[in-house]
Amino acid sequence: MSAASNLLDQWQALARQYSNAWGELARGANEPAAMAADLAHGFEQWSRLFSAGSGPQGESIERMLDGAKRYAAFAQSILGAMGNQPGTAPDWGAAVLRGMAPDIGGVADAASRMFGAGPAPGDIRAWMNLPTFGPAREHQEEYQKSVLAWMDYQEQLRRYNELMVRAARRGFELFEGKLAEREQPGRQIDSLRALYDLWVDAAEEGYAEIALSHEFREVYGALVNAQMRVRAHVQKEVERVANDLGMPTRAEVDSIGQRLQALRREFRERGSDAAGDLAREVDRLRREVAELKAASEAADAPATPPSSRRVRKPARPSGRGTAKAAAQPRKPGAATKRPARRTAVRGPAKKRVVAARAEGSFASRIARFNDTSRVAPPTGALRGARPRARRGASR
Amino acid sequence: MGPIKIEPARAYEEAMTTQRKLAAALTTLREMDDVDFGVTPKEEIYREDKVVVYRFRGDGPPTAKVPILIVYALVNRPYMVDLQDDRSLVRNLLARGEDVYLIDWGYPDGADRWLTLDDYINGYIARSVDAVARHAGVPRINLLGICQGGAFSLCFSAIHPDKVKNLITMVTPVDFQTPDNMLSNWVQTMDVDLFVDTLGNVPADLMNLCYLMLKPYRLNQQKYIGLVDILDDKVEMENFLRMEKWIFDSPDQAGEAFRQFLKDFYQGNKLVQGGLRIGPHEVHLGNLHMPVLNIFAEQDHLVPPAASRALRGVVGTKDYTELAFRGGHIGIYVSGRAQREVPGAIHDWLAARSR
Repeated sequence: MSAASNLLDQWQALARQYSNAWGELARGANEPAAMAADLAHGFEQWSRLFSAGSGPQGESIERMLDGAKRYAAFAQSILGAMGNQPGTAPDWGAAVLRGMAPDIGGVADAASRMFGAGPAPGDIRAWMNLPTFGPAREHQEEYQKSVLAWMDYQEQLRRYNELMVRAARRGFELFEGKLAEREQPGRQIDSLRALYDLWVDAAEEGYAEIALSHEFREVYGALVNAQMRVRAHVQKEVERVANDLGMPTRAEVDSIGQRLQALRREFRERGSDAAGDLAREVDRLRREVAELKAASEAADAPATPPSSRRVRKPARPSGRGTAKAAAQPRKPGAATKRPARRTAVRGPAKKRVVAARAEGSFASRIARFNDTSRVAPPTGALRGARPRARRGASR
Repeated sequence: MGPIKIEPARAYEEAMTTQRKLAAALTTLREMDDVDFGVTPKEEIYREDKVVVYRFRGDGPPTAKVPILIVYALVNRPYMVDLQDDRSLVRNLLARGEDVYLIDWGYPDGADRWLTLDDYINGYIARSVDAVARHAGVPRINLLGICQGGAFSLCFSAIHPDKVKNLITMVTPVDFQTPDNMLSNWVQTMDVDLFVDTLGNVPADLMNLCYLMLKPYRLNQQKYIGLVDILDDKVEMENFLRMEKWIFDSPDQAGEAFRQFLKDFYQGNKLVQGGLRIGPHEVHLGNLHMPVLNIFAEQDHLVPPAASRALRGVVGTKDYTELAFRGGHIGIYVSGRAQREVPGAIHDWLAARSR
């Protein structure tokens, strides 16, 4: 017999026993509270059976079982109120309060997980304010400050827990109000789950009232700050010990990290500036090339009709070449292929030059420049022509 | 007549149903593997440190000319937008022809302790936007910021408006001090400097416990009691566990960025009050002249609707649209209603601005 089928058999036996008991309740031969106790017992059994191998979803199941046990306690209390004092109206508010008492603790537990609550020390504040003497006075003073910080933290935690309890009580008040609204026929609550959901609604409303208050803001902030002060004292002491032992400390690692990040930022900014300078320089050179080419062509072909000159007028750097590149298929290599194409038209092959001219792109302008440069004046003369072209461009 | 009328037979039926569910769970749960998520194929187009930009692949090529870059919050993992087949904002956008990219922030560690909001917004986001624009071959892109990522997108778009064609914000806080903002109330008197100096990076577990305490009864108990109802349904259980994994699969928060976010956004409320600086730039939301679509959730307990709606009064654009979604902060991505309403609304809004 496999472990799984064995578990299933055990569960089925439990379920039969459970079913019989509930059947007796339905016939009026059993007490409701006893049934609810069985419900809680059922969750316990299931928890035990399932814990043999809960797998990757174990944590969620644990949370479910925790909630289910609280729900069972709730049901037990409500059903208990139903069964008691025949002929008198049950005190539902009190019943829920009894059933959900662990929930108040539950919220406080959640808070404790967040703030790491522990037992409060006695009031030794006065002792901790005594002056310190001798070679170890600095250490002694630090210890005393740590203890005072811990005591302050406990005080803030106490204030916080008080607010949590007040929020829970407010939830019960709201719950009683919600119950009163459901006394008319047709609005009555007819299932345990509906009753539980109503209680949760009220509890959340009560909690929200407190949690949105200015008092909570102050208490919560004080608690977090107190906790951080305790932690800072502990860290400081650990740092001191590590330092004495010649071990690397958190402060050192932080310091290195901070410097590294600052360096990376500076490096990137410089790189960005350099890239910007380079782009501007390329842009400027492109304009110069185009202007020189235009000037050279104008000098070589005086009979050229004005309309042709307009065609050869220097284009802006973001001309057709850029637009054409933008229309390239969207693939990672697209951006890197464009320069390769430009390189190809720079080559001496005449066919390529002609093709590039036909495109009228930046590449064609470069090609035309290459053509004209073969018949261009000597370097010195070209250099001398630059200022004129630049002045013209600036106008 | 009392308020409670629970018949023994009804209580019996409830108990028996629970019994059946628990019994079935012994089989269901043992058959389940760990849940998977992030269902849409994607390719990496840019990487820097722990940040990766992905492009999602749809069944066909995108018809939209301008891509969407999703900027998610730092406090959770971005696969919420592509959780599973039938709950995927990404998949639904792709199906409508959008070209979708996403920034995955990764899991910051000690080496990222000193990353500032300037590093995130003018650094990672700026370079991711450039990478997407380069990849798509367009000068400007559409930005879709979610929650904290929405606040970052607002800052980025205000600082670099020339890079953003259309801006979409989802469940994004703008006014961080509305009276119904519980999280904001809690942090107003916190000594944030002490907090970050002490903790360094802010642990994810601490953040999660804080979020759970926003609705402690519903999130710590009621949710798990509801789990009993689906114990016998493998598919529903997988959905639940997938969601559960997302909720608690949270990255730590880079200390310096957290410090500035709490001080300037939550405590200073500078996004609406003014005076917010991200690195060398001052952020003026009045600089947002591009079309803006602001989507918020009416039952959002983390970012109250009023916190998002404040955007209307501070943007410079005349083309401002609001979409109120009937649901919560998480439901806006994963609920059935969200699948029907949100992607279509985004697509239609973008399409109307692409003509």
